[in-house]
Amino acid sequence: MSLFAASLITFTLTIGALFTYLAIKSRDLLKATIFSAAQSATYALIFFLLMAPDIVLAYIAVAIGIYTVILLYIISKTERYEEVES
Amino acid sequence: MKTKDVVIGITTAILLLVIAIAIILGGTGWTPLTEIRLLAKFYLENCFNLFDKNYWAASPEAVSAMLWDYRGIDTYYETAVFFLAVISGVALFRIAEVKVGAISSMRRELGLSIIVKTVTRIAFPLIITVSASVALHGHLTPGGGFQSGSMMAVAFLTAIAAFSRYFIEENLKLTKDNFLTLRSVGLITIAILALAPILAGSIALMQNQAKPWSSTPSFPEALGILWTAGSIFYYNLAEFLTVGAGFTLLFLLISIPEEEFRRILRL
Repeated sequence: MSLFAASLITFTLTIGALFTYLAIKSRDLLKATIFSAAQSATYALIFFLLMAPDIVLAYIAVAIGIYTVILLYIISKTERYEEVES
Repeated sequence: MKTKDVVIGITTAILLLVIAIAIILGGTGWTPLTEIRLLAKFYLENCFNLFDKNYWAASPEAVSAMLWDYRGIDTYYETAVFFLAVISGVALFRIAEVKVGAISSMRRELGLSIIVKTVTRIAFPLIITVSASVALHGHLTPGGGFQSGSMMAVAFLTAIAAFSRYFIEENLKLTKDNFLTLRSVGLITIAILALAPILAGSIALMQNQAKPWSSTPSFPEALGILWTAGSIFYYNLAEFLTVGAGFTLLFLLISIPEEEFRRILRL
């Protein structure tokens, strides 16, 4: 693995971790879902850099498209904001 | 956002950066491995070896060869699990005999804004084309049945989100029964392809190319100038139909408005 690819993976993983943190902390479930989709996008890039194009094709469609929409559908059935614990 | 959150986020990011650098520098050994393992070596040497056709799969794409030939039963079970998931979804929603076009008079107001609709109108055929190309090239380039099927489902998903489900049922004239039929056709094709070698006298289910110990003929490698990699091309096509139609069917079912459900339950 070249140093460029390695540093790119590191950078992408860091951004992915940031999005994961934001998705966990967000009280707005709609925003949390979008952060989760953004995290999936960074992971898709990592799969591509690790030379797994077959995984990327399925991962983009499922993790960014289908998974996000099913979560949005579930949120539409319940409340958008998480209750703040005292 | 509070300062505390930002501090925690940045600390996590730095921690992850340090771990990633440690792994890249060889903290847990090299990832991915620099030398090729025995199993990978077997696949690489055999899956498209034109000079020694004893164990070959006739497919230049090693991953597709593994999925549908060397470890075909594995994918067969995966398809079966997906089939069960979809069929239980359909069974759960079987009460819904939704009237098609119940509110077709207010169709113009349905869906998202004109910008989203125009973009979707351009993107919808493009996504379908890309998914079909991924399916038809699955035995030559990265991709295959499941990948292309989920891409096709995403195309219908964007259409449902942008235009509402009545666009698919009325403009495209595709109802949930059509998708159920498409899916069944795909599944039956997979079953026939898997059983065909047994019916021809082989001992191996899902045999693609003839192995040294088997006496049965192998699938033709090509149809004229079209390279089909034995049975892998047909498997990819059938899986494309199965997965794409299965996912779209589920989206059509969950996008039924809740008032419709209430109305049906009240009757």
